[in-house]
Amino acid sequence: MTEYAAIIPLLIVALAGASAMLAEAFRQPGERMPIAGLGLIGLVGAAIASVFLWDTDRSSFGVIRADNFSLFINLTLCVIGVLTMLFSNEVVEREHLPPGEYYALTLFAICGMMMMAAATDLLVVFVALEILSLAVYVLTGVRRASVTGAEAAFKYFLLGSFSSAFFLYGVAFLFAVAGSTRLEQISVALSAQGAAGPPTLAILGVGLLAVGFAFKVSAVPFHMWTPDAYEGAPTIVTAFMSTGVKAAAFGAFVRVFLSPLEPLQAQWVPVLAVIAALTMIVGTVIGVVQTNIKRMLAYSSIAHAGYLLLGIVAANSAGKAAILFYLLSYAVSNLGALGIVALLGTPENEHDELRDFAGLKDSRPGLAALMTVFLLSLGGFPPLAGFIGKWYIFSAAVQEGHYWLAIIGVLTSVVSVFFYLRIVVMMWMTEGPEVHRPRVPATAIAGLALATIAVFYMGVLPTRLLQLALESISTIF
Amino acid sequence: MLLSLIIFLPLAGALLCLGAGGRGDRPERAALVRNLALLTALATFAATLYLWWQFDSTSAAFQFEEKHAWMPDFGIQYYLGVDGISLLLIVLTGFLTPIALLSSWESVEKNVKAFSFFILALESAMLGVFVSLDLFLFYVFWDAMLIPMYFLIGIWGYERRIYAAVKFILYTMAGSVLMLIAIIALAVAHSSTNGSPSFNLLDLYGLNLSHTFQWWAFLAFAVAFAIKVPLFPFHTWLPDAHVEAPTAGSIILAGVLLKMGTYGLLRFAFPLFPDAALYFAPWLATLAVIGIIYGALVAMVQPDMKKLVAYSSVSHLGVVVLGLCALNMQGVQGSVMQMLNHGVSTGGLFMIVGMLSDRRHTRLISEYGGLKAVTPKLVAAFLIITLASIALPFTNGFVGEFLILLGAFRWNPKFAAFAATGVILSAVYMLWMFQRVNYGPVRNPHNRGLMDLSPREWAMVVPIVAMSIFMGVLPNVFLQPMEASVDRIIDRIVDRRPVQVQVVTPAERAAAAVGGSQ
Repeated sequence: MTEYAAIIPLLIVALAGASAMLAEAFRQPGERMPIAGLGLIGLVGAAIASVFLWDTDRSSFGVIRADNFSLFINLTLCVIGVLTMLFSNEVVEREHLPPGEYYALTLFAICGMMMMAAATDLLVVFVALEILSLAVYVLTGVRRASVTGAEAAFKYFLLGSFSSAFFLYGVAFLFAVAGSTRLEQISVALSAQGAAGPPTLAILGVGLLAVGFAFKVSAVPFHMWTPDAYEGAPTIVTAFMSTGVKAAAFGAFVRVFLSPLEPLQAQWVPVLAVIAALTMIVGTVIGVVQTNIKRMLAYSSIAHAGYLLLGIVAANSAGKAAILFYLLSYAVSNLGALGIVALLGTPENEHDELRDFAGLKDSRPGLAALMTVFLLSLGGFPPLAGFIGKWYIFSAAVQEGHYWLAIIGVLTSVVSVFFYLRIVVMMWMTEGPEVHRPRVPATAIAGLALATIAVFYMGVLPTRLLQLALESISTIF
Repeated sequence: MLLSLIIFLPLAGALLCLGAGGRGDRPERAALVRNLALLTALATFAATLYLWWQFDSTSAAFQFEEKHAWMPDFGIQYYLGVDGISLLLIVLTGFLTPIALLSSWESVEKNVKAFSFFILALESAMLGVFVSLDLFLFYVFWDAMLIPMYFLIGIWGYERRIYAAVKFILYTMAGSVLMLIAIIALAVAHSSTNGSPSFNLLDLYGLNLSHTFQWWAFLAFAVAFAIKVPLFPFHTWLPDAHVEAPTAGSIILAGVLLKMGTYGLLRFAFPLFPDAALYFAPWLATLAVIGIIYGALVAMVQPDMKKLVAYSSVSHLGVVVLGLCALNMQGVQGSVMQMLNHGVSTGGLFMIVGMLSDRRHTRLISEYGGLKAVTPKLVAAFLIITLASIALPFTNGFVGEFLILLGAFRWNPKFAAFAATGVILSAVYMLWMFQRVNYGPVRNPHNRGLMDLSPREWAMVVPIVAMSIFMGVLPNVFLQPMEASVDRIIDRIVDRRPVQVQVVTPAERAAAAVGGSQ
């Protein structure tokens, strides 16, 4: 029985997903059913299970490990899931999304994400990657009537499966080198290489894996799908996938690159450094000219992937812990911001153009204020979560002497402030037409309150979480 | 506890204003919110005065220290303290905020709740900057300060307010993020010599840094502060921000925000990197002198009073930086004194311009003329503040500029000579503006029958005029508390200069003195 301990959180989420599907089967057409509640229960359950597993370092079947690192990501994913559920309740109904499919797919995706961050075998990483990807592809196109949605889903699917193939090919090469897909055996095989240097096969394998991960975290030059997918998907799905997929993919990225592939650091660090720099620059510079908020936040999420990559390039314990902290701070800030966009949308008007936000301060001052807080946090202003995250990532880079990357990082974050402020300017400093704004239900208010408290808590009193992040990485690396 | 109280009192008042304002923009509650905000600002001012009263001015050490672990793993503390330099700037902040609130009592009508919130939040952040002795904490306040100012300009400003607000925030932020990297690098340097990182300013003062490191880190700090000052050629954001900001914003911007640049140079950039400071001081001084003359010349030809005062700030702050670069007692003391003076007199000038533009809704000099006959009391106040700004003896400006020029002369007479021309030019542009606005016949019919000072305006004018004269007549009240602290900072910078002279024993020195006197 103890074999199963490490996968309990995954099982709970999967169970919640299955019951969401069942509930949909029993739902009369037109009947309202609190399916989001099922999801909430499952996610809270998974979070509690993760807390109980803390410090136990269980492993299931030798391929999934519930060490503190994966549990920290589990908890981040639970936060992401809970916020998504709280925002979805109203949005799904308003936009006539099929509730059963929507919630079930979201929960299955979370299950895949948890698995991906916890997997210690490259094949299991791949399986998890597929679980979450398939769910997210479908979610992107869940508005079947929408042309842009279908285009986005198709594009995402094609490019995504392409990248999965790269990933799988990389796994094959590493298998050829190490004779196993288990991370610890790859680690042993690679560190056993003598003075002759690493074999070409290993380098090829690492390169292909990097391509696969870079696709998933939307790093330049593998970011092309991101703006289209984020814009075409329903806003709430954009919010979910921009944070969840990133958390899971970075979890696996760190686990694969920073312990077994460490012997090849001399080979991959310069490459990732260049990718990180490009990602930060392209993400912010192109973000500046966007007029669609979802597209803008898509480019912002590319830029944030660049900052996160700095943590991997730094490859020190500060970098790993910073990634964990950053993922959480990015998740609450970005979910908050996109959640507000989603809540303001109606079936007729998605409310995702910059000008739709004109004069929001008059019609919805509270939402305008919260949106400002989330955007400032994304921009990295103190005393908000995003500032501490950026500071931690940049100090990890500076510790390793990557001054140039840190300087590019801070300068691009100034550029990014420019486009976040464009939304703020619209909300506070531009008069807008009187438009009908949909009501904001209590569940969504609870979600926003949660995100706001998290943003301030992580900005003002980050000590406890920073320590947790440090503890999380000390157990495995 | 006193310092925390002073920092967070305005913030608490700000939140109270938000609560009292109710949901949405409710004009019927505006009066309540305004009074609450003013009350908070006055209470904060009282607290800063109490701080001064309790301050031991004979000691150079930091006083009222508060030290709590914040992020112990990273050597980050909640560490506050004041010395003679920050003390006076804190009092200045406390002094100007109520005046800023009063200045917008009637001119700000929309969303008074948010306006009061941002002014008070800004005050909290500014006070935080002056009392932080932990570089991380300092940076938090430093960056946090930008947001309220951005909103103040962007929401309540004039026509091109959005452009000015965005320019302000991006410009200042671009400078300060590089400082963040330098701050991190300092902490890393501390951890490589002492085993653990630290952001504690006093720990970092003790570091022995390599030349290259000092060079780069000093540049990063200096650019951040030079933009804030603003030093030529980093000044281009200032005229826009000043012209577009509402009166209250301009008063605080000129009165306190600009001082953060010079304060930062004195507190952080110079003593942390003494070798680099001595190397770069002539360069900074050159820029300062260019700024003095350039600012004055550009101010002279401005048709807009607010822009004129804004460029005069570039010129005056150049004088302050020159005094700092001299790195001797007179120069630095004069600089700190001049920071206070500039806060009072330029804050006062913006206040007066605000009063005029409240009445006439224009700031163009050509629209005025002959006001002396219409509003004699306002013009009298205007005159005193103008004279203080051009440093007439017995006004505050004189003391500061005189000390700075003296210090600069002792250091390098050339700089002093050029700076002195700037002082003369300031008399030209200020008096010329004053003459065009106030003397001559009343040509513009709109200017007939303008109101003279209202009781509310008296409440703003009297403290500013009184301070201008008080600081000019009794400068020692202000010079004395900072003396020990200034002395210590200069020691720290100059003593750590690489040894250039032979060590002289007391006996040899006595012999040399005897030889010299013969």
